[in-house]
Formats: sequence, C-alpha cells, structure tokens
Amino acid sequence: MTPAPRPRSLAGLLLALLISAVTLTSLATAAISYFTARGEVDEILDGHLAQAASLLIVQLGHELDEIDTEHAPTLHEDARKVAFQVWEGGRVLRLRSANAPPDALAGPAGGFSERLVDGRRWRIFSQWSGDRGYLVHVAERADTREKLARKLAARQLQPMLVAIPLLALLVWLAVRRGLHPLRALARQVAQREAQNLAPVEAATAPREVQPLVAQLNALLARLGASLDSERRFTADAAHELRTPLAAIRTQAQVALGEHEVGARRHALEAVLAGCDRLTRLIEQLLTLSRLDAQDAETRFSSCALDELAAQAVAESAPAAAAKDVDLALEAPQPLEVRGNADLLRACLRNLLDNAVRYSPAGASVRLSLFDEAGRARITVEDSGPGIPREERDRVLERFHRLLGSGAEGSGLGLSIVARIAELHHAELRLEDSTLGGLKVTIDLPAAASRRTAVP
Amino acid sequence: MRILLVEDDPLLGDGIRAGLRQAGFVVDWVRDGVAAQAAIAAEPFAALVLDLGLPRMSGLDLLRRLRAAHDPIPVLILTARDTYADRIRGLDTGADDYLVKPFDLGELAARLRALLRRTAGSPEPLLRVGAIELDPAGHSVRLDGRAVELSAREFALLHELMANAGRVLSRRQIEERLYAWGEEVESNAVEVHVHHLRRKLAPELIRTVRGVGYLLPAPPA
Repeated sequence: MTPAPRPRSLAGLLLALLISAVTLTSLATAAISYFTARGEVDEILDGHLAQAASLLIVQLGHELDEIDTEHAPTLHEDARKVAFQVWEGGRVLRLRSANAPPDALAGPAGGFSERLVDGRRWRIFSQWSGDRGYLVHVAERADTREKLARKLAARQLQPMLVAIPLLALLVWLAVRRGLHPLRALARQVAQREAQNLAPVEAATAPREVQPLVAQLNALLARLGASLDSERRFTADAAHELRTPLAAIRTQAQVALGEHEVGARRHALEAVLAGCDRLTRLIEQLLTLSRLDAQDAETRFSSCALDELAAQAVAESAPAAAAKDVDLALEAPQPLEVRGNADLLRACLRNLLDNAVRYSPAGASVRLSLFDEAGRARITVEDSGPGIPREERDRVLERFHRLLGSGAEGSGLGLSIVARIAELHHAELRLEDSTLGGLKVTIDLPAAASRRTAVP
Repeated sequence: MRILLVEDDPLLGDGIRAGLRQAGFVVDWVRDGVAAQAAIAAEPFAALVLDLGLPRMSGLDLLRRLRAAHDPIPVLILTARDTYADRIRGLDTGADDYLVKPFDLGELAARLRALLRRTAGSPEPLLRVGAIELDPAGHSVRLDGRAVELSAREFALLHELMANAGRVLSRRQIEERLYAWGEEVESNAVEVHVHHLRRKLAPELIRTVRGVGYLLPAPPA
C-alpha cells in the first residue's frame, strides 16, 4: 500500500499562487520596461549621434585646418565610448578621435549602420557635408545603450524586491484571517466528545462551507438516529431478558422450598418452560440482530416459494397438532420469486408460529400463495382473536406484545417478519381474515423483474 | 396477611404466588391493571405487589389512581426497568418499595413483612401481645417463651388477631384475610381455627363477641 499523500494546505496553496502571480506580474512589467527603455534610449542616443555629426560638419567649415588629429574635440562626456572620423571627399581620413580605428567605420552611404570593432558592437551615423566635401562618421558603443536600458528596468524592479516579501507577509495574514472560520469549525468539531452528535454550529461558517456543514449535520443526524435505535433496542432486549430470568429464579426457589411432590414438580416444569422461553427469546434477538446487519445487498436468488411454504408448514405442524390447531397450505401451482430462501422461510415460520401461538385450541390457520399478475402474494390467516385495528401498527414494533394475549411470545416475531419483508422490498399488510382472526399479507415484487436498486 | 399480586407474566406470576404462599402469605393473583383495581376495591388486601408493564392499565397508572383516591395500601413495585430514573419515578408516584427483576423470593417476602410492619406502626419485627410472641419471618409462635406448633391457617389467624389486637374482627373479615379467591371456605372454618388456637395457647385468650366476631384484647398500656 502506498502511503497516503500529505494533504495540501489551502493556506500554503493560496500563498504560493498569489506570490507567484505577483512575482510574474513584476517580472513581466520589468521586461516591458526594459524593451520600452531600449527603444527610447535608441531614439534619444540616435538623435544625439545625428546631432553630433551635424555639429562636426558645421565646425569642419572653419576650423578643420587648425585642428590636428591629436587635438580632436571631445564630443561627448563619455568620450571613450564615442568615436568619430572625418573623410575628405570620402577617401582621405582627415581627422579621427583617438579611439576610432584608422579604416572607415562605415560605407559612403549616409544614415545609421552597425559594425563590430575589436569585438565590440558600435552604432554609427554617417553624413556628408552640404557640399559633399567631407564624409563624417560618428560612432557609439552599442553596449552603453544595453546597460542603460538594463539599469532603467532594474530600477523598476528594485521596489518589487522589497514589496514582494512584504506582500507575502500580508497575503499570509490575509489568508490566515480568511481561513479563520474553517479553523474555528475544525476546532468545534475536534472538541466535541465522541458521544456528542448534536449538529455543528453552522451560523458562523462562511457561505462556501455551508453545504459541507449541512451535509455533516445530516450525517450526524442519521448516525444519531441509528445509534439511538440501537441503544433502545439493546436496553429493551436486556429488560426483556429480566422477566423470564425472574420467572426461572422464582420457580426454582419455589421448588427448593416445596415439600409436596406435585407442587415441586409443577415448579420444576415451570423452570423448564422458562428456560425454553428464554432460549426462544434469545434466538429471536439473534435473528433480528443478524437481519439488522443485512442490507439491500442481501444475496437474492430464484426461490421456489411453494416449496419454502411447504417446509415452513411442516415445521410448524407439531406445535399446531399439540394445540389442536388445524394447519393448512394452499399453494395451487409452483411459484418462483427472487429472494433469500433462508429469510423467506424464517418469515413464513414466524407468521405460522404467531398464528398457532395466539389462536385458541381448535382454531384454523391457513397459509396461501397467489400469483397476482406476476407478483407473488403470501397470506397467513387464522381464526384466532385477531389484532384490533388501532394496534396493528404497534405490533410491528419490537417487544410490543398484544395486551391480554398472555406473554409467551417474545414480541419480536412480527418485527422479524416486517424486517424480512423490508429487505425484499415487499409490502406487508395486517387485515381482518374471513376466518375470523388476523390476515397477514405480504406482496413480493414481481418475480420476473430483476432485483432493482431501491433507495 | 393477604397480598394482591399484579403480574402479567404467567410463569413469573405463578412462581411468586407459590413462593409467597410458602412464606405464609395469602395471595391473590390478577394479570392486568383493571382487574387489580377491581380486586382492591372489593377485598381487604394488606399489600400490593405490582409489576409495571401491565396490559390494559400500566402499574404506574394504577398506582396513581390508588393514591389519588387516598388508598394507603402498601405497594411494592416489581419491574425489569432498573435505572435510577425509573426507581425514582416509581417511588415518587407512591410506591413504598421497589424490587428489580430478577429478585430473590426471600427478599421479596422480607420486604413485604417490613412494609406491613411499618404500616402497623411497629418497629419491632416480632409481634407481642401479652405472653404471646409471633415471628412473621420465622413463622414461629411462642407462649411464655415456649414454642407452639400451629398450622399455616392457625398461624395466619393468630397473626391477623395480634396485628389487630384490641379490635373486633368479624368472621367475614377474617375469612377475607385468610382465604384467596377460589379457596374453599367451610362455613365453620373460622370457628374451628379459633377453637384450635384456644386449645393450643390458652382458652381465655381469644374472646368471642356474640353476633359480631372475635377479639384479642390488647394488654393494658
């Protein structure tokens, strides 16, 4: 497994992006200044060169005879970088500055040109005197211009060198300030105890984070609800175990204190009955907790519902016979459904057990299967006392026992049936039976349809 | 002492009834709150053993109604709910004592005796009238320090007479306190038991008040 990547810091990312943007902008500005400066420096210095050539021509008119090469006039303060040549008739070198080479700096054509002298680039302006008697070349080293433009661009960059660190500090502070609500939110979540599932305070969170907080709160609410129901179920289960335990303990004590054989036997039989009841209650609890752990991913396959029904009826038959309850199965034709065979059989078993358990001796219990236009329908009916209309929702709740029905039941049978129906996306209804008691109907989704994802 | 047991669980109810009978109580057993209310109105019960999770009318509702009607009957609650909040609610609703399931039968009987003692205003676990000493817990009777063998019914009769020393109990009152529903009462049963008690203890001990009932005179204070 590769190590999890270090999560990126939002503050660091913002800081890096902002500082890079500012730096790039500054560099771009400096580059533009450099090129602009180059252009302007060229323009100004070219002007100077032309002007210097003109001045030289004007001076040539009256002073050329008095001037020798050694005493050539200084045309520019930066004299070493400026050179000139005066050619009489364009062929005879009459005058040159000390730093000018003896050969012609440029050709006889007038105007601007460039050439290399001793490995250095020079910019040259050439002009003929008005009578075309003299050709004057004035030259200037080109790297001077380069240096000037660079200096100008650098001057522009200098303040940025101070500004960028300052800006970085300010941006960092601003980002910190901007992320403060996020940190406050994180602190709020971090400081809560594990048990605290109250919603996170959303009022102070920035608008961009509101959806996250809303989702978090929705998750907390769902988690809280499921934890609550789990906790309630565990507490209820523990309490439900106390009564059968108390019965066993009490009957055992009675048996110990009883001298009369018949009474002692009665108490001991009651101890056994209590153990059976406790066993059944624990089995039901385990079934339910296993069902709770299952979800829509329960493995479904094609099941022969008529065969499952026959098995369930066979399993319930001994109890029915012992109570003289008439148990019948009506499944006229084979019926295929998609589902989990074990769960469906447990569902049928619980329905039959309930019907037999709560019906008086001599009652009838009937399990019927129907094919309702491709949908499988299961009904379990009895001629027992039924369930009053207003109780029908509550009997599906866990541990809810019908009043006055005696307390042998665990109060879990119908909860198990309801949960199995839910897992099969089936519809469960409690109604009056034509037999006189309760009719439980389960409508399974169409057998032919593939299992569809139900939210 | 006649106790009304209100418990909807058949196995537990049957066990408690048998256990309390072994401890010398006369026990009637009903399975829901409405039946309990009717029974309390009809018969003179010395105490009520009340389960809370009852059909038709919950134990707490029954208790609330009894207390609202100023019925002082001592009530011991039996319940599977064991949180402090549950206990406090039970006691504050008017219960006198509280036992959480599963419990010990001996403790249930002892707590009932304590309740009955407190109701009678006597701090002494033994009942004494003159030379007779009755131990409800040990089920024994002494006369001048000498043990006397009594049948369960004779013991119960003596217990009632001693608990009501100085008051006349009618034959009907005695029958109601000595026999649970469904128990066969011979028409002269009380006379027979009184006769036996007189013979085993002292002939002059129990006075007959003609046309009214029987009286165990309280010793001069």
